[in-house]
Amino acid sequence: MSLNEGAVFKWVVIVGIAAGVVIAVTLVTSQLVGALVGLAVVIAGCVYGFRWARRKRRAS
Amino acid sequence: MESATVAVGHGHSEEHHGPPEANQSSRIDKQVLGILLFIVSEVMLFGAFFAAYFFLRVVVDPPSWPPEPYELPVAVAGINTAILISSSFTIHYALESIRRGNRAGLKLGLVLTWLLGATFLFIQVNEYVHIGFSARDLAFGSIFYGLTGLHGAHVFVGLLLLSFASIRAFRGHFGPKAEDHLGVEVPGIYWHFVDVMWIIVYVTVYIL
Repeated sequence: MSLNEGAVFKWVVIVGIAAGVVIAVTLVTSQLVGALVGLAVVIAGCVYGFRWARRKRRAS
Repeated sequence: MESATVAVGHGHSEEHHGPPEANQSSRIDKQVLGILLFIVSEVMLFGAFFAAYFFLRVVVDPPSWPPEPYELPVAVAGINTAILISSSFTIHYALESIRRGNRAGLKLGLVLTWLLGATFLFIQVNEYVHIGFSARDLAFGSIFYGLTGLHGAHVFVGLLLLSFASIRAFRGHFGPKAEDHLGVEVPGIYWHFVDVMWIIVYVTVYIL
């Protein structure tokens, strides 16, 4: 597990892309749809993060 | 108060003053661990402000958001967001440069990051001047200035950290080895955190 600036920068890019998707969906559709997509992205991120942490704990 | 004295080695005359050395993980530097734990506490602080924001927005549920006749400068804030995201790339460039031993790249990256951060802060202050409402105008005004102001304060602290790192870079500090550029790595991680928080603040406050 590498916890350095490079790893954090990767997360900046991921969050930036996710935010871009939410902004695009909101501008094309409505605030409600954008909020729902944002919620889905946050939940997906949490699930991914949880699985990643569990995988790393097993590997170590 | 007298400091504890710990003998180092077997029968060596060299003595270590002060408390014993803290245990050091081989997987993460203590400075990096420190800034990560600090960021966790900062996330909780922002979380409290977001909780207040969503309470006002969802539970209180006003007829319109932002309340009439107020309007948020979405486009200007969008440009400001792009400026701040760019600064994450420049600080990453600075660190990649010093990892390769490129001191000129480190200095350039740090100066560019500082300038982009200062531009962001200047535009935000300018936005406050022209936005047409204050923190005393409804709960909306309070939470808007609370969230964006909290973030602005973090940008200011980030700029201070970048100033120290830049001064040290111009004085010839830092080297390619990981332990030799922690003075840039730690502010870099903090700066990325400030950037991510702004992306979330922008999407939540200005877009949704």
